[in-house]
Amino acid sequence: MSVDFLHPGEDAAIDTIVPALEMRGIGKRFPGVVALDNVDLTLEPGKIHALMGENGAGKSTLIKIMAGVYGKDAGTIRMRGREVDVKSPRDSLKEGIKVVFQEIALISEFTVAENIFLEGYPTGRTGSIDWKKIRADSAALFNRIGFNVDPTARTGSLPVSQQQMVEIARALAHEARVVVMDEPTSSLTPNEVSLLFAVIRRLAALGIAVVYVSHKLDEVFEIADTVTVLRDGRHISTKLIGEHTNDTLIQDMIGRRIDNLFPRQRGAAGSKVALSVEKLSTAKKLIDVSFEARAGEVLGFFGLMGAGRTELAKAIVGYDPITSGTITVDGRRLSPHDTSTGVRLGIGLLTEDRKSEGLMGELPVYQNASLASLGAFARLGFVDKAKEHQAVQDYVDRFRIKTPSLFQQIKNLSGGNQQKVLISRWLMRGLKVIVVDEPTRGIDVGAKSEIFALIDRLAGEGLAVVMMTSEMPELLGLADRIAVMCEGRLTAVMPRNEATQEKILNAAIG
Amino acid sequence: MSLASTASAKDQPSMLARLFARQELALLVCLVLVLAFFSATVENFFSVRNMTNVLGQASLALTAGVGCAIVFISGEVDISIGSLLATIALPLIIIMNDTNSLLLGVGGALLFGLIIGVVNGYLVAYAGINSLIVTLGTMFIMRGGVYLYTGQRAIPDAASLDSFIALSDGRLFNIIPYSAVIAIVLLAAFGYMMQHRPFGRQIYAVGGNQEVARLAGYDVRRVKFICFIISALLATVAGIILAARVGSAQHTAGLNFEFQVVAATVLGGVSLAGGIGSLTGMALGVLILQFLSNGLRGLGLPTEWQLVITGMIIIAAVAFDEAKRRRANGG
Repeated sequence: MSVDFLHPGEDAAIDTIVPALEMRGIGKRFPGVVALDNVDLTLEPGKIHALMGENGAGKSTLIKIMAGVYGKDAGTIRMRGREVDVKSPRDSLKEGIKVVFQEIALISEFTVAENIFLEGYPTGRTGSIDWKKIRADSAALFNRIGFNVDPTARTGSLPVSQQQMVEIARALAHEARVVVMDEPTSSLTPNEVSLLFAVIRRLAALGIAVVYVSHKLDEVFEIADTVTVLRDGRHISTKLIGEHTNDTLIQDMIGRRIDNLFPRQRGAAGSKVALSVEKLSTAKKLIDVSFEARAGEVLGFFGLMGAGRTELAKAIVGYDPITSGTITVDGRRLSPHDTSTGVRLGIGLLTEDRKSEGLMGELPVYQNASLASLGAFARLGFVDKAKEHQAVQDYVDRFRIKTPSLFQQIKNLSGGNQQKVLISRWLMRGLKVIVVDEPTRGIDVGAKSEIFALIDRLAGEGLAVVMMTSEMPELLGLADRIAVMCEGRLTAVMPRNEATQEKILNAAIG
Repeated sequence: MSLASTASAKDQPSMLARLFARQELALLVCLVLVLAFFSATVENFFSVRNMTNVLGQASLALTAGVGCAIVFISGEVDISIGSLLATIALPLIIIMNDTNSLLLGVGGALLFGLIIGVVNGYLVAYAGINSLIVTLGTMFIMRGGVYLYTGQRAIPDAASLDSFIALSDGRLFNIIPYSAVIAIVLLAAFGYMMQHRPFGRQIYAVGGNQEVARLAGYDVRRVKFICFIISALLATVAGIILAARVGSAQHTAGLNFEFQVVAATVLGGVSLAGGIGSLTGMALGVLILQFLSNGLRGLGLPTEWQLVITGMIIIAAVAFDEAKRRRANGG
C-alpha cells in the first residue's frame, strides 16, 4: 500500500467533469418484491449528495449494491467513466467505494490502527507487520480528516462517533473516491453530529464524492449539495438542495395515495383502558413515555429508524428492563417487570424479528402455536396432545393458515402464514393487549392485507392492539389513534381523522 | 471548535491501570503468589531441580496449548488433542522399531498428525460442522483405534535410540529439559506469529468478528482450516515427547489431556468465543496449574483434592474475567 493517499490525485481537474460514480438503470428484485426499479444516481466529486426516502424506499438496497453486498439484477455502474463490476465488498473497496454502515464493521478487540489496515497490513522486509508505519499512517489519516483518534486505543472502547471516524480513515487508506454514510447520526449527540459534519465537509474538500443517507430533513438541508429521493424502489427526483423546501421534500418522499388495502370491519373502540403506560424510561432509549390503549382499538406508533418503537414494544411487555415508570395491564400493575408476569396479566409481543425472536423454525406448526399456553392443555402435568392439536386446528381453520398439516416445520411456511401462527400463539393464551412490531415485515404484498384484516379482527374481538410501524400506509389504514415517536420521546398523539402525513412526519422529525 | 484530540489522552486510564487491566499481568501476579506460597510451605519447592522438573512436565501442555489457544482464538474448539497424543505414538514407535531412525519415526508421526488436522479442519471449515462435535468424534475414533490396535498391552520402544531417550531426560546445559526448550521455542515462534504476522492477526479477526473479516476480504474458511492443522501438528509434537517419556505406545496415554489443556487455556484468558486472549496468557495458565499441582503434592494433598481445587480455580477465574468484561463494557 502506497503513501500517496496522503496527497490528492493529480487528475483533480478531470474529476470535476467526469462523475465520480454513475449508476444507470439499477434494478434489484427479491422474492415477491421489486426493491429497485430503474434507479439512476450520479455523484460528482467534491459534492455531498443526500439520498432520501421513507423506510423501504430502496436506499439501503442501493447502497448495498454499491458496497458489493448485493449484486444488481440490471443496470450499470461506472467509476470515473469506466464501467466496473462490483461483485463483493472487496471489489467495491478496490474500485474506491467505501460504505460506512450504521452497523459499524470493525473488530472491537483490535486497535484503531489495526482496524484501519484490516484489508492489508503494511509489512516490512521480513513479512512481519510494520506496526510503526501502521500507527504513523493512521495518525496521518486522522490528521487529514481533521479528527484525532488515538491509533492505539482499543476500538470497542470508543463511542460510535469515533468508530465512524475510524471507518472514514479506513476509506482514505484505500483512496476511496466515494464515501457513503448510512444514517450516520442515528446514535450521535448533537455535538458529535457537528463534528461529523465538519469531517464530511473535509472529505468533500478532498475531492471525494459523499453520499449522505438520511431521512432527517434538517440535517440534509444543512449538509447536502444535491438531494435524490427514492420512493417504493423508484427514482423520484434529483435536485439541488436550494430548489427544495421542507414541504417539497416531504411531498417527494411520500407522494402516494393510500389505496384500500384496509377494509375496516370492526366497530368503534370502547372506552375501557386495557393498557396504561406512565412516564416510562429505559437506560438505552425511552424518555418519559406515557399513553393509554383502550380495548378494541388499534393504537399505531410511528417513528423513523431509531425513534424507539421496538424499544418501547419490548419494554411494555416486560422483555427489556426499565429504569422508571409504570405499566398497568387491565388494571393490574406489571410488577415484577418480566415477560412471565406480562403474559399472566395478558400482554404479549408479536416481534419484529420473527426468525430469531418469534419462531422455533425446526419445530412443527402446532408446537409453535401452543407454546405460550401449554398449561391450559395439561392434565396431571402432562400435555394432552389431542386437546392441544384440536385447539391449534381451530386457529388454523379460523385464520385460514395455509399449512399441509399441523406437523409441518414452521420454517417451511410463508411469512404471512408464520405470522398468523404467531398471532394464534397469543390468542390461545387469551390476551388483553397485543403489541405488534412491524407486523408485515418480510411479508409479500398479497399476504399483507390478510394480516391487516387479522389485526382489524383482533381489535374487533376486544383486544387492545398496540402497533409499531414505520410504514405510513399501514399506520393510516389501520390505526384508530396515532402516536408519533422521535428519539425515544412521544412527540404527538392524534386521532386518525385529524392525522395527515405531513403532521405525522413533522412530529417524527421532531 | 477544535477538532483535534477529542479522543485518547483525557479519557484513557492511567498507564498502571491499563497494565493491570491486561490479563497477562494479573496471571503473572497469580503465578508469583502460587510460587511464593509453596516456597514458604513446601521444602525444596523453590529449588532449581524442582522448578526445571515442573517446567519439563508442563512442556506437553505448553506445546499442545499453543494449538489449542490458536483454535480458540479463531472461534472454534479442538478436543481431539488428547487422543491424538496417544495415536501418533503408534506410527512413531512402529517406524522407529522397524527402521532405527528417529527422523523417519517423527516424520511418520507428523504426517499422521497432519492428516488428522486436515480431517478436523475440513469438516469444520468447509463442511460446516460444529467443531466441538467434529473433534469429539475424532477424539473417540482415535482412542478406539489405539485400543483396537494395541489391545491391553503397550508397544515398547525397542529401538531405544539415544536421541529419542534424550527427548525425555536430556537437559540443555544440564539444566533445562529439552522438552521444555522445544515448548518455549514453539511458544515464542507462534506467539510472534499471532501478534506480528498478518496471518496471526487474521486469526484474531476471524475469531473476533467473522462477518467483518469476510467483508474485509479474508478467506475465513481457509484461516480456520489452517488453525486445525497447526493444532494437530503441535499435539503431535507433544505426543512425541510423551512417547519418549513413557518409552512405549499405549492406549491410556494422554487420557483427559485435552481437558487439562482446555482448562489451562481458559484460565489463561483465552475466550471460547474467539478473538480474545494470547499465547502468553495460555502459557501462564499452564504454569499456574502445573506449579499448583506440584505444590499441593508437596503438601501431601492427594490427587483427588488437586482436581477439586483446579476445578474451583477455573470457574472462579472465568467468573472474575466475565465480571471484569461486563464492567468494561458498561453493563
